[in-house]
Amino acid sequence: MSAAAGTTRHAPRAAHRRATHSATQVLFDAPGPKGRRRIALLSVLSAAVILGLLAAGLWQFQKNGQLDPAKWVVYLRVDYLAFLGRGLLGTLQVTAVAAVVAFPFGLLLALARLSRFGALSSVATVWIEFFRGIPMLLVVYAFLLALPAYGVTFPRFWMLVIPMILVSAATTAEVFRAGIKAVDRGQHEAASAIGLGRRDALVHVILPQAVRLVLPSLILALVTLLKDSTLGYVVSYNELQFQGKTMVSITRYLVQTYVVVSVIYIALNFLLTRIALALDARMKARAVAS
Amino acid sequence: MEAIAENVPLLLQGIAYTVALTLLGYVLALIVGTALAVCRVSPIPPLRWAATVYVEIFRNIPLLSLLILIAFGLPDVGLRLPYFWCGVLGLTLSSAAFVCENVRSGINTVPVGHAEAARSIGLGFFGTLRFVVLPQAFRTMIQPLVNVFIGTVIGSALCSAIAVSEITWVTQTLNIQYAQAVLMFLVAGAVYLGMSLGGSALGGVIERAVSPDAPTGRSRGRSALDVTAGAQA
Amino acid sequence: MTSISFRPGRRAVVTAAAALPIGVALAACSSDTGAGPDLGGDASDGGGAGTPFGDAVASGPVAADDVVSASAWATAIKDKDELIRGGTLANQVFSLASTSDGPPTGFDAGITQLLAQYILGEGGAEKVEYIDTTVETRETLVENGTVDCVIATYSITPERLEVINFAGPYYLSGTAIQVRTEDKDTISGPEDLTGLNLVTQANSTGIAAIEEFVTDPGDVQTLPDNESCVAALKQGRSDAYVLDQGVLLGNSAADPDVTVVGEPFVDDPYGIGLSKDDEDALEFCNTFLQEIIDSGTWESLWTATIGEVIDGEAPEPPVPGDLPA
Repeated sequence: MSAAAGTTRHAPRAAHRRATHSATQVLFDAPGPKGRRRIALLSVLSAAVILGLLAAGLWQFQKNGQLDPAKWVVYLRVDYLAFLGRGLLGTLQVTAVAAVVAFPFGLLLALARLSRFGALSSVATVWIEFFRGIPMLLVVYAFLLALPAYGVTFPRFWMLVIPMILVSAATTAEVFRAGIKAVDRGQHEAASAIGLGRRDALVHVILPQAVRLVLPSLILALVTLLKDSTLGYVVSYNELQFQGKTMVSITRYLVQTYVVVSVIYIALNFLLTRIALALDARMKARAVAS
Repeated sequence: MEAIAENVPLLLQGIAYTVALTLLGYVLALIVGTALAVCRVSPIPPLRWAATVYVEIFRNIPLLSLLILIAFGLPDVGLRLPYFWCGVLGLTLSSAAFVCENVRSGINTVPVGHAEAARSIGLGFFGTLRFVVLPQAFRTMIQPLVNVFIGTVIGSALCSAIAVSEITWVTQTLNIQYAQAVLMFLVAGAVYLGMSLGGSALGGVIERAVSPDAPTGRSRGRSALDVTAGAQA
Repeated sequence: MTSISFRPGRRAVVTAAAALPIGVALAACSSDTGAGPDLGGDASDGGGAGTPFGDAVASGPVAADDVVSASAWATAIKDKDELIRGGTLANQVFSLASTSDGPPTGFDAGITQLLAQYILGEGGAEKVEYIDTTVETRETLVENGTVDCVIATYSITPERLEVINFAGPYYLSGTAIQVRTEDKDTISGPEDLTGLNLVTQANSTGIAAIEEFVTDPGDVQTLPDNESCVAALKQGRSDAYVLDQGVLLGNSAADPDVTVVGEPFVDDPYGIGLSKDDEDALEFCNTFLQEIIDSGTWESLWTATIGEVIDGEAPEPPVPGDLPA
């Protein structure tokens, strides 16, 4: 019954122990016979409660006729899948394009904010704080409704992607800034000791390390972008959420369609988050080992 | 300007809704999220699993999808809440997942020795958490929790899609009437910016109060690189 | 065919058929695609030749070369050999998508295909790119040239005329009321809406109609799209959905739980939305509309689409160019 906790705690491998050892793992002792009985009892009780809640939820679905297999199996049909697939493709396209532009842009913003030139630094700071602090929906509305009044308009794709870029660049700028600051001070000193100028040190010594440090966080920024792309709903861009809406209109299977759409989003983002966490864990383990 | 002058009550009502959505959503998320975090570090496997599944679902679902599911999906299975409470529920469910992961990650920053010491003087699971670990973890959690607050502020705008007359909804409605999109955009932007920056500033004050020696800039940097909580949108 | 090896039980097919009253007439739903409604007309018979809809489109006129070359807007479309239309593809009566490569069906879809054929000649009806727009995005997408035109149950209003041009009207609709089918006997006009919770689309003509014709309504909700409005109505969040009849007819055609009641109480003439930058597009489209009206194509299109859900003969067509003041 020893939790993940117990085993790692008594593991003899010191390096591993240091890497994974933390407060969450010593909150409780490896339980004795009495404790084990109590945990078993609580486990059974809580499992019963959780299963009860799930059953109640399913019962609600059933009672309202939403579990009717006919309303669900249609999502195995080729034409339904193709219809949603076109939306998924749109989602992936905007996410990819936004990321490719936003990440370098974020890096530039971070460098500008860290710059020694006061004016440049404050402009970057204001820019970052502005786009971090307002909803992307508002930026989308600005591109959809405000700018056209002044004759500035973009195709649908860009009315979605540009706001995604603006917002994502601001948040990734903070990630890059943290990454650059997290590179050990000694690296700066070593770089200048071998005669590198500030710029050379940055380009050849600091940035390569910083980018590696922020890689997991950038993958998470992809998750955010993917979620933000649902605002394609607003600009009539055919991404997954919008396709789902159209599908509801035609089939009238509302819960079913939106559940399927949500599950697709969750699965994709879950995968990306896992990759980010795995990368992070590997990097931390390596840092401890060296 | 007349668009503003003639509609002060409507705009104030919009701001009130935005503030109410954000505060209710955030406070409930703090409570639910902390409870989930306790479940996630507890010795009871079913609770750990349930909390993990919860987090994976609600941090990975786009908020807009979640809100639409709650507002228009739940009634089809027999649960119809007023639009406003649909908004609060959506914000709570989503933000709680991020609160949970940030609290858990905060607990991880407390030195192992402290928890061991707490146990050696006879404190149990809850005692160790309550008196030793959480109070210390709180300090490192402030910046991440400020970020969750900003996420909640920003997320509240999406409630306009489910007919909650918060500030985005009000300004868009007035924009259609008066065709003054830029003015309306600035009004709404100022409200959100005021709330996010206000939240940040308050977080800074609290952080300095509980840990006078820790410079705030550094902790914000650290939280930007912490990936355990996932990405909030 | 789009079916896969999965075969639903008999019960599933019956349920699906029951859920689709009018799809049979319009989308020519075929049972061999498995359970559930089709996502649109079927390629083999949805909008193709041999159906009333397909025949109506095929019978349309083609413009003489000099008519096209006299219009810079039409010439540009001819040069790219494609008409880009903004609209919805989710309206059962006016414009419904096909997932199986067939053309969309419905009155607006028919007008679109006729216009494409008029400009591009034989086979032109298939050279249309359909871009989804919503009530909130239509003006912007016309203005910035994302689409060549918007044909989307698009009511001509003085406010919209300030931003874009409208050819037409090509159909005289009206603001109407949709209720849950069980309420269809208690609500018949705007005078019955006092105190009731209403829903309409953001940025639609429904908002002004409610303000003008409904005394003391309850809560007036505005939602960003038709799907949410229908859900709000069906789920009891609101008691009536006020919008132009074209959209509402599409809803009740797709869903027996909602019904359009009474007569339209505000005129909603539908026009073809065009950019003000394309100066000659307006005249060109009006000429086109006049031609399909004169040739009887308009009437056969009406019969094949709207006529399926409204009783009686085709109405007198409107006069293109006759815009509301």
